[in-house]
Amino acid sequence: MQNLLGGLLMIAIAVIAVVQGSALSIGSLRHIGPGMVPMTLAAFLGLIGVVLILSWWRGRERVGTGRWPLRGPVFILGAAVVFGLTVRPLGLSVAGPLLVVIAAFASAETRWKEIIIFSVCMMLFCLGLFRYALTLPIPVAPWLIGY
Amino acid sequence: MDALIANLSHGFSVAVSLSNLGLCFVGVVIGTLVGILPGVGPIATIAMLLPLTFNFDPTGALIMLAGIYYGAQYGGSTTAILINIPGEATSVVTVLDGHQMARQGRAGVALGTAALVSFFAGTVSTIVVAALGVPLTKLALLFGPAEYFSLMVMGLSFAVVLAQGSLLKAAAMILLGILLSTIGTDIETGEERLTFGFAELADGIDFVVLAMGFFGFAEILHNLENPETRDVVKGKIGRLLPNLQDIRMSIAPMLRGTGLGALLGILPGNGAVLGPFASYATEKKLSRTPERFGKGAIEGVAGPEAANNAGAQTAFIPLLTLGIPPNAVMALMVGAMTIHGIIPGPQVMTKSPDLFWGMIASMWIGNAFLLIINLPLIGIWVRLLHVPYRLMFSAILLFCSIGIYSINNDPSDVLLTALFGLIGYVFIKLGFEPAPALLGFVLGKLMEEKLRQALIISRGDFMTFVDNPVSAVLLLISVVVIILAVVPAIRKTKEEALSMS
Repeated sequence: MQNLLGGLLMIAIAVIAVVQGSALSIGSLRHIGPGMVPMTLAAFLGLIGVVLILSWWRGRERVGTGRWPLRGPVFILGAAVVFGLTVRPLGLSVAGPLLVVIAAFASAETRWKEIIIFSVCMMLFCLGLFRYALTLPIPVAPWLIGY
Repeated sequence: MDALIANLSHGFSVAVSLSNLGLCFVGVVIGTLVGILPGVGPIATIAMLLPLTFNFDPTGALIMLAGIYYGAQYGGSTTAILINIPGEATSVVTVLDGHQMARQGRAGVALGTAALVSFFAGTVSTIVVAALGVPLTKLALLFGPAEYFSLMVMGLSFAVVLAQGSLLKAAAMILLGILLSTIGTDIETGEERLTFGFAELADGIDFVVLAMGFFGFAEILHNLENPETRDVVKGKIGRLLPNLQDIRMSIAPMLRGTGLGALLGILPGNGAVLGPFASYATEKKLSRTPERFGKGAIEGVAGPEAANNAGAQTAFIPLLTLGIPPNAVMALMVGAMTIHGIIPGPQVMTKSPDLFWGMIASMWIGNAFLLIINLPLIGIWVRLLHVPYRLMFSAILLFCSIGIYSINNDPSDVLLTALFGLIGYVFIKLGFEPAPALLGFVLGKLMEEKLRQALIISRGDFMTFVDNPVSAVLLLISVVVIILAVVPAIRKTKEEALSMS
């Protein structure tokens, strides 16, 4: 299964690249255009995809793909996305604890009281380190203090 | 020889300035600290700590980053000995005898030996890096586009061969990495390529975004699903310094390990990963009592640890002289250098000698710091091993997110990283190792540029890569290593060697 899905994924990437790059001129060997390298790479990727699918078809490989629990990806990546969306308008003071709390949903071991205290401590620590010690221009709390 | 001493002393004069010394120290300390935390490898460590260096001048920033790198490497060995988990691929071998020593109540001696041989190996390889710096840079300046292109092809071929798992999948990841590097504005025509119409992608994908997505985020996802069984050594660490007999048994393995590690580390395409394996195999073969190996033989710690550290350091040679990173960690150093406005390559030595020699000198200083801080502070490190992962992963995620945002003060970078985290996670699930993609990504732009230049010079004749003797030899080597890797017998040995991890 690994090889079948992996092969399909490679072919999909190749197709996306070809469709996206269809407007780019290939040029000639004498003067390579912007499309030549991406298209060649896409072709090779597609080829590897085909070979992977063939190797699955020939039945050499019977490796499963394991479990695909959604909990981790949804909450971890979701937490990062929420951070990206909130850090500008709400600042680190809100986006930081929000990220920690959302991410905590990803683990079954989370203890809620602990994580709430931890999220505030982490936020204060990161504010002190990044904003004040390293003076990186990350918003603190625009809705409260204006920056 | 005189020039070498002059250059090194210039480097030391840069590196011992109070601020650089301080940065090196801070780098080594936090590198060790984060490297020891379970579930954080060197790539994630460096990516996560990159924003700490944004405010410093390039020399200071790189000295600090190099310190973080040694610290993270050394932290990997500590976790290998104390909790039976290799922090990274190169300390896999240390687990075998190091953890056994720890279980026999000799954890302190194992750690002490690891620190001492690492310091020795670090000292030797600092000199090797300094000695090879000038001649290799001169050689690199003679390279035309065709030679450069073939050199990178060779590096990537090695990377494919040395990657874990399927060759085909490693090759796919390298090609994908190069493909991702073509996203953004074309260098010659200014046309936007593969940007899906997003203005954010016009400047291309930021290297750190890709690295954090594939390593920081995807690693968290992987660790949450596969909780480590931590086998923390209970009881006392014991005496740290090896006794006379330990020293007598360690010296020869240390010398051989240093030699092997330094030599393999110079190879393009992550030769450094082979050093500890080669050293362990050598010591076991040479030993009069090979049956002791795997049961706490001190030679099995001294040799591989020396090789590990020597290789970690000589891996800087291809990066500093040729501008070609040999592995994913060095690729990250390229990303860091680029953020600070330095394009790695042969011109660094001539254009910014302070940075070049200062960094080399700081390698030795960093190793000395490691020795000083690690032996007395081992008690603190042990306590860190008990930090529960349920708290750590959200802290890592927060650090990564703040770091990514801070590169360009652009929230869309965080979203893009989450996307790459998802892609990286799917790849790992399907048996694709993401490290080669990072290498392909870093080399991609340069490769395309050199390919175009070479073909313009040769008027579209592909034979230019074969007519040029240097280029032809490099390509021949690439073909040979790939063919060798496909030969079933050799493939099996490689799998056995790497499957220890």
